Parts: sequence; structure tokens; C-alpha cells
Amino acid sequence: MKPIDTYPRTQSFDIENIHSLSRGEEGTISDVPEMSLLASLGLRLGKRVKLLSKSFAGGPVVLSVDDRSIAVDRELAEKITIRK
Amino acid sequence: MAHCGPKKQRRRRKHKHHFGGDTHKTILLMGLPNVGKSAIFSRFTGLDAMVSNYSGTTVEFYEAPMTINNETYLLKDAPGIYNLQNPNDDAERVAMDMMKDRPEAIVFVLDAINFESSLHLLMQVLEYNIPTVVALNRTDLMKSRGMTIDRSLLQNRLNVSVIPTVALKGNSLDLVKYALSQTIDKEVQYTVPTENKDRWRTVEELNEEAVKTTPRKNGVDRFAFLAKPFPGIPIALLVLATMFAFVIGFGMGLRQFLLLPFFNSLVFPYIRQGVEALTASELLRAILIGEDYGFLIKGIEWPFALVLPYVISFYAMMSVLEDTGYLPRIAVLLDGVFKKIGLSGSSAIPLLLGYGCGIPAIMSTRSLPSRKQRLSVAVMVCFAVPCVSQTGAFIALLAERSVFAFLFIFFVSIFAMVIVGLIMDKINKQSVPFTLMELPPLLVPAPKLLSKKILFRVRHYLKEGAVPMVVAIFFAAILYELGFFPALGRALSPVVSGWLMLPEAASTPLVLGVFRRELAVLPLLDLDLTTVQFFTGALVALFYVPCIAMIATLAKEFNVKTALLVFIATTATALFIGGLFARGYDAIMMLFG
Repeated sequence: MKPIDTYPRTQSFDIENIHSLSRGEEGTISDVPEMSLLASLGLRLGKRVKLLSKSFAGGPVVLSVDDRSIAVDRELAEKITIRK
Repeated sequence: MAHCGPKKQRRRRKHKHHFGGDTHKTILLMGLPNVGKSAIFSRFTGLDAMVSNYSGTTVEFYEAPMTINNETYLLKDAPGIYNLQNPNDDAERVAMDMMKDRPEAIVFVLDAINFESSLHLLMQVLEYNIPTVVALNRTDLMKSRGMTIDRSLLQNRLNVSVIPTVALKGNSLDLVKYALSQTIDKEVQYTVPTENKDRWRTVEELNEEAVKTTPRKNGVDRFAFLAKPFPGIPIALLVLATMFAFVIGFGMGLRQFLLLPFFNSLVFPYIRQGVEALTASELLRAILIGEDYGFLIKGIEWPFALVLPYVISFYAMMSVLEDTGYLPRIAVLLDGVFKKIGLSGSSAIPLLLGYGCGIPAIMSTRSLPSRKQRLSVAVMVCFAVPCVSQTGAFIALLAERSVFAFLFIFFVSIFAMVIVGLIMDKINKQSVPFTLMELPPLLVPAPKLLSKKILFRVRHYLKEGAVPMVVAIFFAAILYELGFFPALGRALSPVVSGWLMLPEAASTPLVLGVFRRELAVLPLLDLDLTTVQFFTGALVALFYVPCIAMIATLAKEFNVKTALLVFIATTATALFIGGLFARGYDAIMMLFG
């Protein structure tokens, strides 16, 4: 996958992404932008994630992965694709 | 790294010399953010390092001597990082520089809770082949989560000593020191993968083999509701309101029932007697113990009896809030709203700190993701966030007359923050970086570390806040008794009386307020004013020049031009809005009264 900077910021994807999960739903990451911090926070290929909450006013989503809570920007969350 | 030229080398070497005089051998403390590094540092050195739960506090690192095998080393607390490869990240660059300085040994804090990311960082650290001891920290949380980690497997695979610890409680830290003494002189050669892909694969394999988990029903989900808009936002409001009520209630109690009676009955009478016995000079007596600016009276009463109680109660509350790990939840909740003015949710933390003191608030903007955000937040703090000293003064001025007027000042403060943020965003349009952060697990703060932190901050106030206040009052006392202020009052009369509709004597706080924020308020106390006039004075003080120390901090953190602009803009805004209020109120009264 291309480095994150090369994505136009408003582009969204048709396939299922993390942001399309509803609260409490789980999925397995199938594609994720190359970003070292994402990897370090546990958002890597094949990881099981669960959506804990969505914020309002375009705020971040909160995920649980490996029993950690990670807040991910809404636009970034739309670029992480998952299989249910 | 190609960009590390000779200039950097020179600077680093200079830095090595600055503690004591000779070149010190160093030991480096490394690990992820918020995993207990600072707690270990604090326990190893007994010095007052700040320990807190939000990322960013250690970007300025701490160092202190520690003894191993009868030899003194310099223990450095490296910034918490996730990786050791990106020179564009401030914290990572600092850590990489520290590694390239070849410390004698490394204490690596391996977080049992964030096992994979910790292991990934550890492997990058081991690449440097510096003797390393691993503290497997937060084993208490690990156990409570039903996890076990096979320590000997880790030791064998990585060829390092691994000691399970609970840094917050100080458990097993002696063992870490012992392991350090055994390792520090050894030649080491670690074998670890060097490509990111291989490294993650090795990490995941090791995790698979070493970690056993009994799945638990409600893990982090248990507190997930705190980051949901509902009930997260009502809870956040409740938490902040409770904090505010505590700060004011506790501070007021401390002041009314402990400090004021103490000074009034046990200190001031003796000072008065002493001065009267020592000098018969009217002028000297007036300067030292006079009714208005008597240096030995006001110089003690204002900093220690009026302001200190609120400093104590504010930092007690703020430190608790930081150490529980709750603050990043507020940042997440507010992120969307802050984005509307070009800021990220983590800006909430410097703004909150600003209600304590503007100087740490401006410094803590360093943890924000861009220079634009740093500048916006710093300017917001300068314009619209009253520091705890000033809040204490507002309470003395307004709360005892009209609670409504007092609360209204805070609404004005929040409203002004938004306006300043919007203006800064217009001036300096830039896209906001992606929000990506870990919400640390909620913890019950460790009393010992907590009290150390509060003590550290109160001591900072005494040194950096109270002393300049005493000096300012000293000069005020002399100028006052020499008849300077009435002359100044006449000079500023067109502004003060003509525009702000206050008596001439109210020009005094305008001059003193440049030096200390609360001195823009406190002198008003002794004037005979109406509530509206008090409120005008408070409004002017809120927007007025923050204080000379904050302006200096701005100049240091940004540049002199920024500092000067803020100085001019705050003064102009304060006078404009104060006058607008006074005249607006007057006009309304004329219409309806």
C-alpha cells in the first residue's frame, strides 16, 4: 500500500473500512496504510479489531486491539480495510 | 544518518560535560510513552521527575546521578517513543541522538500491557549492541488481566536479563539495579532482525510463544463509555466541574480557615511591632507596613495567603487527573470540535494547564503535532486563560460580591478562547495532522508519586511565581509611597477614567499587571467600586498582558516578534473590551433605568 501522504484526504473507499463498523462490531484488518505509528499501536495486517466508539463532529473512532484502546482519526479509519 | 553533520556532534559533546564538569558515563532509560519510565527514574534517583499519564511530558528529558558498583553514572530519562527510526519526529530524534552517544548501559522498560510494540522497540534498541537490562513492567496489571509472560523464554531468545517489576509501587527495582551492575561492563552482541517486516514477524512469533492469555469478558471495553459522546461528554463536564469546585472550595477553605488566621494573628502583629520598634521614619514604616502596599504585609499576604491556597488545590486536582490517565479521553471527545478551529483534541491539555500557570502551559504545547497548533494554543492561553493566581484574585474580587459575575468571567474566557482560535486559524491556515493516539489504561494514582509531583509544582510556584510577586510588590510599595501612582493615575486618566469609567487609582493595577497577572486584579480590592466597575476591572485583567514571565517564555519558545505582538494585542484588546462593557452597561442603564 502507498504511504499515507499520497492519499487525497477526502477520498473514501467502497470496500468495508473500520469506520463502517458499528459499535461493538469486530473485524480483521486486510489492508492498512504504511505508517510506523499505526503498526506500533497494533494496527497491522491480520489483527482483530473491535470498534468501541465513534465520536461526533468528525472526531476519531476508538478501537480496541490487543486489549489496548486506540483513537484513530476518522479519515485514517476510512483507509483501513477489514474483513468481518 | 546523513543529516547528522559535525555541528550536531559538537553540540552533543558539549551537553555531555554540563553535569558537574567531567564527562559522565550515562545510563539510558528507554521505553514506550506512559509505561512507567518516569516512575523508575524517580525511584532510582530520588529526584523529583514529573510522572504523568499523557504523552509529551518527557520530551524535555530528565537526568540525575545514580550509583552502580560504587561508580556514579548519569541516568537519563529518554523521551517515550514507539520507534527508533524517524528523525522527523522530535522525540525519536532526541532518543536516537542519545543512543548514538553510546551510553554505558540501557534500562529498557518493556510494557507487559503493550507487549508487541514494546518488543518491537526493544529490538531496535538492541541493534545498537549496548549492554541492556529489561524491566518487564506493569506485571500487576498483566496479572489482573489474566496474562502470563514466559520470562525465561524471552531471556533466552533475546539474550538479556528480564526482571518483572511494578514501577509505580517500586517492586523489584533493586533487582533491576543488581542486573545492571552485572551487565554494565560486559561486551555484548545481540542478534535481532533489522528490517521492519522481519522484526514485526519475529515480534508476533515471540508474542505467540511467550504470552498466555485467558480471555476475559470485559477488558478495555469496560471504560469505553468515557470516550463516547454520550455519556462521555456529560461525564467530562461533571469531572471538570467537580475539579473546579474542589479547586475553589478547598483553596478558599485553606485560605479562610488556615492561612489568613495564621498570618493575621501569628505573623503580621509581630512584623508590625518589629518595624515600629526598629524605625520611627514615617516613610519607611509606610513602605514596610503601610495600609495599601506595605511590603512586609502585602508582600506576604498576596503570594502566600491569597494565591498559594489555590495553587495547591489546582495542582493537587490536575495531578490526580493526569495520573489517572483520564485526560486523553477528554482530548478524544473534543477532537472533532477542536478540528473546526484547526487544532487537535490534545490541545485541551495545555489549555487546562493554563488555568494553573501559563508558563508550563506554553511549554507543554511542545507535545502538539505542528508549529501552527503550538502557536495557536499559546496565543489562546495568553489572551483568554486566567492562571490560578488570577483566578484566586477573581474569587477575592468577584465571588464574594456576585457569584454570577465570577462565573460570567469564565464564560467570557471560554468564548474568547474560541474567537482567538478562529482568528489564529484564519491567519495561519494549515491542515490538521491525523489524530492517532493510545488511550492509556485508567489507573489509581500512586500516592507517593502523586505527592511528589504536587510538591514539585508548588515548589515551582514558590520559586518562579511567588518570588517575582514579592519583588513586584516591593517596588510597588516604594513607588506608591513616593507618590508615583497618583501622578501615573493622572497621566492615564483619559484611558482609565475617561474610557473605562474607573477611578484614577485603578491605573495602578494596569501597571503592576504587566509584572504579575493577579496584580492586575488585587489592587482593585482596596478601592471602593461598584460591582459593575469590579467586573470591568476583571474583564480588563483577563485579556490584559499575561505577565512578563509568560511574554519571556513566548519569546523563548517562538520568537521576540510573536511575544511583542501578543503584548500589544492583549493590551489593546483588554482596554477595548473593558471600555466596551463599561459603556455598553452604562448605555443600557440609561435606556432602562
